[in-house]
Amino acid sequence: MSMRERRMQDLRRTVPQLDPVAARERLDQGALLLDVREPDEIAQGTPLGAQPLSRGFLELRIERLAPDLDQPIILLCESGARSLFAAASLQQLGYRQVYNVSGGFQRWKAEGLPCAVPRSLNAEARQRYARQLNLPEVGEQGQQRLQDSRVLIVGAGGLGSPAALYLAAAGVGTLGIVDHDRVDRSNLQRQILHADSRVGMSKANSAEVALKALNPSVEVCTHELRVDATNADALVHDYDLVLDGSDNFRTRYVLNDACLRHGLPLVHGSIYRFEGQVAAFWPQREGPCYRCLFPEPPPPELAPSCDEAGVLGVLPGTIGLLQATEALKLLLDIGEPLLGRMVIYNALSSEMRRLRIAARMGCSCRTRSVEPIEALQGDAAL
Amino acid sequence: MQSITIRIPSALRAFAGGASECQVQAASVREALSALQTEHTLLAQKILSRGGELRPFVNLFLDDDDVRLLNGLDTPLRGERTITIVPSVAGG
Repeated sequence: MSMRERRMQDLRRTVPQLDPVAARERLDQGALLLDVREPDEIAQGTPLGAQPLSRGFLELRIERLAPDLDQPIILLCESGARSLFAAASLQQLGYRQVYNVSGGFQRWKAEGLPCAVPRSLNAEARQRYARQLNLPEVGEQGQQRLQDSRVLIVGAGGLGSPAALYLAAAGVGTLGIVDHDRVDRSNLQRQILHADSRVGMSKANSAEVALKALNPSVEVCTHELRVDATNADALVHDYDLVLDGSDNFRTRYVLNDACLRHGLPLVHGSIYRFEGQVAAFWPQREGPCYRCLFPEPPPPELAPSCDEAGVLGVLPGTIGLLQATEALKLLLDIGEPLLGRMVIYNALSSEMRRLRIAARMGCSCRTRSVEPIEALQGDAAL
Repeated sequence: MQSITIRIPSALRAFAGGASECQVQAASVREALSALQTEHTLLAQKILSRGGELRPFVNLFLDDDDVRLLNGLDTPLRGERTITIVPSVAGG
């Protein structure tokens, strides 16, 4: 008898064995069924309800899936051998109810038990997103969630540039880019989506060139238009999240209202000289909307544009990246998104503060259920 | 009376002679704004209505909280506190 066989014989005495039918029953009763095979094996099929956790990461990640040492855990591999060693390992970690599926997935299939073929990332995606896949908060499931996500970025300017680049790099499947303008040389000090060779090109098309060069697997939808009350609904309708990188109040209110009507999260960012603001508005889930915070725009003399007031080129980089971070958190449903919170940043003092912001009684986001939709349309408040 | 620091954002500093903050003595947020009116009349005119209420494009934060989450302008002030004026800005 080989050393391996002797060891397995010993382990079968200490690790309770379940046949697939018994394993299925325990799964239905709340046990955790872990498929410890490699991702390429799991890609061919896995027991319905099983969680993938390859053997190599078992000890490192088990605590996240099973924080309670009394949680019943059933392990499965192809034939029942690798999972037996894995079960012994979990026992050593202190788990008290660990089982092994004898005969593994081969027997599971042979007995006609339900299987699923999970979607999986291809080899290129696995390589590209390796550092992200290693994060338990993202993992393969999160990466696929990003791949299925559609984000509309309004404005391919100072804020939209870093946000779009990083969301494309992170693997957000579809990015809509809205901008009616053309690339001007004076944009290049901060609008890093564009390049000197593309001066004169439409910003939406220039953005597509840059994003495709960075990540060809991202689908880029260009919208060469100025957002207004007549087109906002049709525009946001196809997306899961809107990132506001616009440069004027009219667009900001129109986007807020359209997102409210469609129940979409809106990630806000705005800048002035050396200072920036970031918040996420999704009153359907938590916190106020943009109109709650600022019911009306300021008079023109209090709100000069970047063209008039100037802006430090790196500032929209910082703020746009905070927006991209909030977008990823919302898409992945991780962390504490800035719902009901606003971050203000001062580049000169290097101070960043997280403020609690309030909903406003009587705001349209609070009364939308009783107000006809038409009453929210248009931009009468501007 | 408490010593209160009022922070002025860069978007409004032109109306406060370029000042980034000012110190006032006040027992409530409303009193702090009255003191601001004395110190920087033009700035106060820009952010307050004739009735002394905040205009709808400005929020005030007492330390890290929107004063609307507290008692609004009637929020009492105790100890050394900071009021931050946050106006709406649209640059992108």
